[in-house]
Amino acid sequence: MIRQPGETTTKVKKIRMLIAGYPGIGKSTLGLSAPRALHIDIDHGIDRIEPIYRRPFIQPQTYDEVLNDLIPENLTDFDSLVFDTGGKLIDLMKPWAIKQDPKNGKRDGSLSLQGYGFVGREFTRLMDHCFYQLDKHVVVLFHAVEDKDGDATRLRLMVEGGTKNSVWLPMDLGGFMEMIGNDRTLGLSNCERYYAKGTRGINGVLKIPALAPGDPNVFLTKLFEQYQKKNEADAEMFAEMQEAYEDAMRRGNEIIAAVTDADSANLNMSLFKDIHHALTSERELKVAWNRHIKELGLTYDLETRAYK
Amino acid sequence: MERYMVTHSLLSSWLYAISENPYEDATTERDPMAEFLTVLRREQTEQTEAMLKGIAFEDLVTAILNGTGDQTHEWYYAANRIAGIIRGGILQYGAKQQVRIGDRDVMLYGRLDALKGGVIYDIKYTGHYEAGKYFDSTQHPMYLRLVPEARQFSYLVSNGKDFWQETYRRDETADIDRIVANFYSWLDVQGLDELYRQHWQAL
Repeated sequence: MIRQPGETTTKVKKIRMLIAGYPGIGKSTLGLSAPRALHIDIDHGIDRIEPIYRRPFIQPQTYDEVLNDLIPENLTDFDSLVFDTGGKLIDLMKPWAIKQDPKNGKRDGSLSLQGYGFVGREFTRLMDHCFYQLDKHVVVLFHAVEDKDGDATRLRLMVEGGTKNSVWLPMDLGGFMEMIGNDRTLGLSNCERYYAKGTRGINGVLKIPALAPGDPNVFLTKLFEQYQKKNEADAEMFAEMQEAYEDAMRRGNEIIAAVTDADSANLNMSLFKDIHHALTSERELKVAWNRHIKELGLTYDLETRAYK
Repeated sequence: MERYMVTHSLLSSWLYAISENPYEDATTERDPMAEFLTVLRREQTEQTEAMLKGIAFEDLVTAILNGTGDQTHEWYYAANRIAGIIRGGILQYGAKQQVRIGDRDVMLYGRLDALKGGVIYDIKYTGHYEAGKYFDSTQHPMYLRLVPEARQFSYLVSNGKDFWQETYRRDETADIDRIVANFYSWLDVQGLDELYRQHWQAL
């Protein structure tokens, strides 16, 4: 079924988010501020979270356990799945990947190059499964490491091999937690220190309010609500722009198709010029027009201002 | 008044030259300053293996779009994903924009791999990719300046096997005019302005 861009607002959009930061900065607590979260505590770090902020959890020992637990009937009470941490999740995937195909492993039990590719694809598949099939928000937490790049120090995800790049692919939002002064912050815009992913106007460096005793832990819940509002507003604006773009492209292509010789080119030229453009339709249609004119072997006479 | 041209490649070569000073860094076998001067003189350079692979990868994407892509090619999966994104867009589109920077009339110029629905796309073949690799590139600031109505710029990156997409919006993109202004100041200080004027006059 072909759907129109404006239709993307028909239901609450789930969000896939990546959060990275140094150990101990509060990633797990932040992750568990997502709406009705299930804590997938692969790092076995639940005891480091203030009891009041803990949420129902599983502590899988194998990747098969993760897959067995993440089925619709187990998840009716949850809106968000919080993987803590993504690095440990990938560690669990390694023996599983080798079991699927011995070529994914090396003799010493580590992953082969093919195995890293396999794990990267499985990570994306799992994220897609949680998002599309299970219809949950997905939050994946990663430890961060510093990396020297010339004089600059950059932050990166603590994940081996190319997987640290492929984990970004399915994410809507992603960023790094850092202390700035006494404040915990979440940076969601690309900067010289790290790669991040903001969207729907949610970007920049967000201050994470300190949790006083009794405060509800709802930072991500509010952020997701904000995302949803922006998503709706964006979808509305984008739908208008996209509709105008598609109208212009449709109209332009119809006019171009009607040009078969010099007479029809001259006849249609003014119609073509009158198109109301949106986004990059004007450039795209001009290229299509010129290509078509060339294919017909026509030339433009500057004196008569007509094709011949 | 005379106008002078600036491209992303020229700026990129300059930024590489000033960030990797060959005379203080014995660890590099390349000579970035000599490479920059070659670009400044607009001399032909020999294509490197990496460049040739990049061209071959783009050719495969184009062939897929034309319905002639070799499905058994080892790069087919990644190239096909990229082809799916840019299908229907205009390819190899030359864009230019005249701007005033300081006391100069400057013609910014670039060739876009693809333009479609308000998004500029550039295909990158690379042996090594890290998320955020193109943050410092002058390409998205330059190209977003060239096409003011474009909403965003997207790098479509592959190593021939995997595919990644790195997207930049306008609000997270550096101001290209400032970079060009710095470039002109540097040329002036280095006494290279005359050489630039000789080779980069816009028609």
